[in-house]
Amino acid sequence: MKVTPRTLEEAQEAEALELLERRASRLREQGENTVEEAVHWIAEFPLGEERYALSLESLRAALPLKMVSPVPLSAPHVVGVLRFQGQVLAALSLASLLGGHGWRQDPAVLLVVDRGDGELCALDCEAIPRPTTLPMSAVEAARVRAEGAVMEVFTQDRQLIHLIDLKRLFSATRGTGARHAR
Amino acid sequence: MPVDPMLQGLVAGFAVEAQEVVQKVTMDLLELEREGLETDALTRLYVRLGRHLHTLKGSAASLGMQDLSDIAHKLEDALAPLKANPQKMPRPVVDILLHGLDLFLLRAQAHADGRGDALPDPAAALAQLVADAPPPEEAAAMVAASGGLAAVAAPAPSAEPVSVPDALPESADAGWRVSSWQVTALMREVERLREVRLRVEERGRELERVAVLLAKQGLLAETAEARTALSGTARSLRTDGEETSDIVDALEDGLKAITTRPVRTILDPLQRMVRDLSRQLGKEARLSVVGSEVSLDRRLLEKLQGSLVHLLRNAVDHGLELPADRERAGKHHEGALTLRVEQQGNLLYLEASDDGAGIDVEVVRRLAEQRGVVTAEETARLNENQLRDLIFRSGFSTRTDVTDTSGRGVGLDAVRASVEALQGRIEVASTPGQGTRFMLTLPTDLGSSPVLVVRVLEQLVGLPMLAVEATQLARAESLRLGKRRAHLEYQGQLLSVVDLGARLGLRALAPPAEGQPLLIVQSGGKRVALVVDAVVGDRDLVIRPLPSEVRDVPAWQGAATLSRGELLLICRPDWLVTETVQVQVSAQRRALVVDDSLTARALHRAMLEAGGFTVHLAASGARALDRLQSDTYDVVICDLDMEEMDGIQLIAKLRERPETASLPVILVSAHDSSVARERGLKAGADGYLSKRECAAGRLLAEVLDVMSRRGSRA
Repeated sequence: MKVTPRTLEEAQEAEALELLERRASRLREQGENTVEEAVHWIAEFPLGEERYALSLESLRAALPLKMVSPVPLSAPHVVGVLRFQGQVLAALSLASLLGGHGWRQDPAVLLVVDRGDGELCALDCEAIPRPTTLPMSAVEAARVRAEGAVMEVFTQDRQLIHLIDLKRLFSATRGTGARHAR
Repeated sequence: MPVDPMLQGLVAGFAVEAQEVVQKVTMDLLELEREGLETDALTRLYVRLGRHLHTLKGSAASLGMQDLSDIAHKLEDALAPLKANPQKMPRPVVDILLHGLDLFLLRAQAHADGRGDALPDPAAALAQLVADAPPPEEAAAMVAASGGLAAVAAPAPSAEPVSVPDALPESADAGWRVSSWQVTALMREVERLREVRLRVEERGRELERVAVLLAKQGLLAETAEARTALSGTARSLRTDGEETSDIVDALEDGLKAITTRPVRTILDPLQRMVRDLSRQLGKEARLSVVGSEVSLDRRLLEKLQGSLVHLLRNAVDHGLELPADRERAGKHHEGALTLRVEQQGNLLYLEASDDGAGIDVEVVRRLAEQRGVVTAEETARLNENQLRDLIFRSGFSTRTDVTDTSGRGVGLDAVRASVEALQGRIEVASTPGQGTRFMLTLPTDLGSSPVLVVRVLEQLVGLPMLAVEATQLARAESLRLGKRRAHLEYQGQLLSVVDLGARLGLRALAPPAEGQPLLIVQSGGKRVALVVDAVVGDRDLVIRPLPSEVRDVPAWQGAATLSRGELLLICRPDWLVTETVQVQVSAQRRALVVDDSLTARALHRAMLEAGGFTVHLAASGARALDRLQSDTYDVVICDLDMEEMDGIQLIAKLRERPETASLPVILVSAHDSSVARERGLKAGADGYLSKRECAAGRLLAEVLDVMSRRGSRA
């Protein structure tokens, strides 16, 4: 049985309640029909002919590639050292770390990243990377498949992205001087 | 047992340190009491526990507190059977060990309070402790009530009530208790202020340059007011900068006085320890200390103390022979122990040596195998140095009997762990019949230190000023040039001449030119004459540790920030004075990479070095021409697009010179068009590669192809 409001205020209140109820049921329906897919945020950039990416959460800063002091007698993948927020960081050649031979353009940017062990280092890059997302399920599947530090992940439009796992990359190169992480 | 009055001042510090160590031991014991720990975890815990007890024992003995040393030794005894076969620790054993630790701490505190001479003989308490350990609840209650064990261990407090005044009168000794991190944080701020000060100095110079530029524009009348204002500001900035410098120096000196103390404060007590220990073992020994006036961070000193105790006890126990044996070997009956301390920049060198029997590598090998430290198969693959290094392995000891001095297999591995925890390293050198030397290198990172800045080619390099004895210019009459190396006659000695550029792999080895700067660099008693291109000047700089990726490069000890924010690498003097085998560079193919991109240079270098080339780098065409004046190369890899002089212009210059007219040159460019390629080849390049082709790995093949076509040594 529907209760008829007795006063204007009661009528307005009932109307507001009805409106809220309608909105709530609409949202409930949306929730049932569209499940938002979990995504993994990445910083994507070109390396040679291919597209590479780092997990966005590992990225601390993007700096112009300058004020880097070369370190004679260091390993081939070490470009030099630089000062970042009072710390001395190593600038490393990402192409060299990944076993590649170079970039299409001379790198102009340094990406300051967390190596996965709490320490920071800087990696060279052709340009400031583009933030974008990958489906989390695709990343997880690629992680299971991958043996090295680079995971091959396909975007929804079937583009191949090489997602770099920094923790694996640096544990593979630590102490061995190994340059081929893949 | 009363403590030597000379050492009393250090006992209070020991009591605090002992509390921290005991706390760690307690936590480990509680962990060991738990069920379900895996064997690896158990082993780790037992090893750590053993080290802590050994540290307590050694430190107490070094301060003359034999009663505490005895207690720690008893605790080690209780631990030994379990350590050999790691398993969950039975509760009664944990009770005994915890009781022993209570006893240790109570007596340590009594010593610190100056009540050590009133302490009862610990023997009875120890015997009771081992024989009849009460349950933990009872023990806790006893400790809490300050009765029970306390009554056994420490004298009863005075019956006199202690009156505490409402307000203590301020005296010269009054002070604050400040945690070390607060002081360290302040020091970091002072270090930052010093770097800011350098930048301010640079800004002042920039202002002065602007004023000069304005004057050069010829608009003298129009800019007169602006120039006067700029010059005035630059002058004020300079004066303010100088005042800031004084303040920074005063702040740093004040903080250093708080945070550091002379090394002798930990070395002096070791004299007594060496004397007592050698008497106990029927030996004779004298300890000499060199460099005890060096002041170091208190935290570092505290952490080093245990290691020094271990090293000296080992030297007396294992190193030195009995007096009669020494005399038979033609030595003085009294053994000589030497501790040498030297600080250079942000590195501390500490050397502990003895003139004893030395380390018998064969004995080390046999014992290491017997004790399961390594297998015979493994030792067969080790060289002499690696065999000697087995003494740093956990579980190794050359003593066949367990004494209270050594023989438990802890000690040197604990020393190494403690040095490595400080990011340092330890090495050992030994000559049979002549003695053994342990060398510790540790970073000391508080405050600034004087650095001499020099230049080699385009590279600026810092040298700790303490390592630089003198500077002079190369003169033919004082140089002795041999086929492979040069020597400098200096103060009646012939010093090896070391070219810093060649040593750093930046250029080929060449004798110094007339008038070229030579630095006399010394480290560890060795001296060399170091050739550089220019002496830039001295600076007070804060040397920071290098990141892990380059920390192991032996040439460098740290980096400091210069006025424009760029980093200066600081060279290790001990590396400079170390003899190296000169690489036979003449047999290798040599390439010069010319590129204004640092990363491109690094990548090309990596590629060519992997192909067996010796690679030198130049950041511009002009630098490349300079290099080609003094060095010869088999091939030049040159970037096409460079500022000032591009690749085409460089090739033109090279082709003009008879000595480089036929030198193979490969141009590298981001331009991938046939027009660009044609233009490059037409200009005289022997090869042309796009960056894309380099990225695809074509560089080395192209270099070899071009060299082969030119008839070089491909």
